[in-house]
Amino acid sequence: MKCEQCADKLDRYVDRELTNTEALEVQLHLEGCPDCMDHYEFQEHLKRVVKHSCDCDTAPKAFRDKLREILT
Amino acid sequence: MAEPAAQTAFAEEALTHLDTLYRGALRLTHDPDQAQDLVQEAYLRALRYQHSYQTGTNMKAWLFAIMRNLFWDRFKGSRKEDVSLDDVGDFVLYDKLKDEGAKPEADVLDKIAASEVVTAVDKLPPLHREVVLLVDVEGFSYKDAAETLGVPIGTVMSRLHRARQQLQKSLYEYAVESGIVHPGGPTQVSQT
Repeated sequence: MKCEQCADKLDRYVDRELTNTEALEVQLHLEGCPDCMDHYEFQEHLKRVVKHSCDCDTAPKAFRDKLREILT
Repeated sequence: MAEPAAQTAFAEEALTHLDTLYRGALRLTHDPDQAQDLVQEAYLRALRYQHSYQTGTNMKAWLFAIMRNLFWDRFKGSRKEDVSLDDVGDFVLYDKLKDEGAKPEADVLDKIAASEVVTAVDKLPPLHREVVLLVDVEGFSYKDAAETLGVPIGTVMSRLHRARQQLQKSLYEYAVESGIVHPGGPTQVSQT
């Protein structure tokens, strides 16, 4: 696999959307290519940062209680 | 109309996804009151149409689809105005930081406050923002995100890719403004 092919598949690799065979090909390339591995680690880290930054918002308790009352 | 016990069970199961819906509504509307209105309306609609929900399928995706469709119905004028994102190039933040001698994760990403990351997400055009919310924040598969949004998987992938590029661009700009990185850093050769 060439670096360009790896870059094309990196989003899907980070999102666990590749088939097992494709994921293995990417993994083997990453293990032998420090530049692509750095890119991968950065993408993975960015995804984690976005998740942790955005998922701390939760529905206020009063709103949850109100909805439960309306719906049940 | 469902039996009261069945309706209560359906509502209780639906309420287990409240945080996901509320977060999504908050990021779409940017306003806690509007988010609560939107979510409440979505739940009422879900209850009304619970017969169309197939038991055993992804209830979170089904509820999110109802909520985001309501959002677009309310703001349907803005759908056409959704800004498309230019291709800003791959790995914008990563490449710039490498050029400037920084370690992208340790030196920069970990120093950017969560609130700034949320601001960068909020600045994305809504059609791109909702893909990031579904895939990156809520962990939807591309297939579930595509079904929720009513678009092909390829569209999910392209919106996600561009959204991530734009996020990197926004975070880089913030990192420069706030002094976390200095353009023309240590490894850049000064121009004479």
